[in-house]
Amino acid sequence: MEKKTGNTLKLGVFVTLGVLFFIIGIYFIGQKQHMFSHVFKISGVFKNVGGLLVGNNVRFSGINVGTVENIEIINDTSVRVDMIIDESTHRFIKKDAKAVIGSEGLMGNKIISISHGTPGQKEIAENATIQTTQPIDTDEIFAKLKTTSDNAAAITGDLAIIMQNVSHGKGTIGKLFMDTVMAKTLDQTITNLKKGTKGLEDNMDAAKHSFLLRGAFKKEKKDKENEKKEKEKSK
Amino acid sequence: MKKDLNPIADQKAEKISPEVKNKENSFATSLKDVFIEVALISKFAGRYFKEVFKPPFEFKEFLKQSYLIGYKSLALVGITGFIMGLVLTIQSKPTMAEFGAEAWIPGMVGVSIIREIGPVITALICAGKIGSGIGAELGSMNVTEQIDSMEVSGANPFKYLVVTRIMATTLMIPVLVIFSDLISLYGSYVGVNLDGKVSFTLFFSKVFESLDFIDLLPAFIKSFFFGFIIGLIGCYKGYNSKKGTEGVGRAANSAVVIASLMVFIIDMIAVQITTLFT
Repeated sequence: MEKKTGNTLKLGVFVTLGVLFFIIGIYFIGQKQHMFSHVFKISGVFKNVGGLLVGNNVRFSGINVGTVENIEIINDTSVRVDMIIDESTHRFIKKDAKAVIGSEGLMGNKIISISHGTPGQKEIAENATIQTTQPIDTDEIFAKLKTTSDNAAAITGDLAIIMQNVSHGKGTIGKLFMDTVMAKTLDQTITNLKKGTKGLEDNMDAAKHSFLLRGAFKKEKKDKENEKKEKEKSK
Repeated sequence: MKKDLNPIADQKAEKISPEVKNKENSFATSLKDVFIEVALISKFAGRYFKEVFKPPFEFKEFLKQSYLIGYKSLALVGITGFIMGLVLTIQSKPTMAEFGAEAWIPGMVGVSIIREIGPVITALICAGKIGSGIGAELGSMNVTEQIDSMEVSGANPFKYLVVTRIMATTLMIPVLVIFSDLISLYGSYVGVNLDGKVSFTLFFSKVFESLDFIDLLPAFIKSFFFGFIIGLIGCYKGYNSKKGTEGVGRAANSAVVIASLMVFIIDMIAVQITTLFT
């Protein structure tokens, strides 16, 4: 008899725990969808929702504060998105706050981010329509990327022609790199320049020792020394 | 006319035809057997529904069977669930890491376990353990003429043996599925933490973030059907087993095979129905 009661007790605990875990699961999923908290509704009108789905998150300051409740086409250019948002964040969402559709990372779900409004503004009213910013369309990004890559292709094409000309010794740079006669001439010019510089140095030395210019050089030397002494004194 | 033109071909045809005829006959017989079996199982299910609402209720036997089917299977279901969660996480980790999507593992594993792995694996294990148990138990009772003697003594063996068992499997399998899901998720949490550090709260918050009612409820509802079919097939095979020890073995074996097959068929139908609502 005792064993039977024990078994029944065990069964009771087993079933109760099972049901409890199920209810906890339901509660957590419901809580994620703000089913058990006070909520308020707002909506936003977008031209393109970019794959947003009912149940996607609504974020404010990076925190999940609500979910998308309904998405409806209202005319040929506009889609209305209804959102339910936790009542506790109501006072922070101002009248001039803006909603934008973004995405959670590169492969993530679509989300709606609500920006801060101007401080001091009144909070947004229940069932009001929030201002929206049109989402960045990935197709548009790809179209722009295509233009960029087309331009890059044209530039690299031109660069290839230039490099070809250079390798064939055409143009100034081509001659500079590829023409051996020019290289020799350039080498000769540099040698001559070196020789000319050495000659000039010798001439300057001779001028320093000539009695006509010696005074001028000495004066210059004296001026420099005086200047140096004055600097030391001032320190 | 043709007979005269090609006598050799005609002789060959005469030689082959008995075998072909036999094959055709055996195929037709098997097909006929399948349809008869389906009809008998349906009739058996019909009798169950007729008896289940009719008093007196064998509540004590129902509790005993629930204890044996539910509580006594928890350890097996728990161990399997834990290993499934752990293995699924470890196996999917390298692939997810390649995409830099390791943060998605809890969500992915959570959805896989709750939607499919938890209910199906639990049902298959129960088909093996409980289905064969019921089949063998009722089969041996049938062989030893205990069922007949119950009928003779005025008791209703169908109500006492079949209704209680089918009710117990129908109600206990969903509870086992809940435990299996939970333990599998814990196994996955352990798997994630084998070479990483993810907090318990973060892991479960990620899991619940990915889950929706459409993941949990259809999986929970279909587990009732799994339980019902496991009990039904087990009881049918045992209750109608052929006399002799061979009959007991056959009843247990075919109960497992048919119940497992039926679990997959129900799962396929459930998925099709679920996709209508997503």
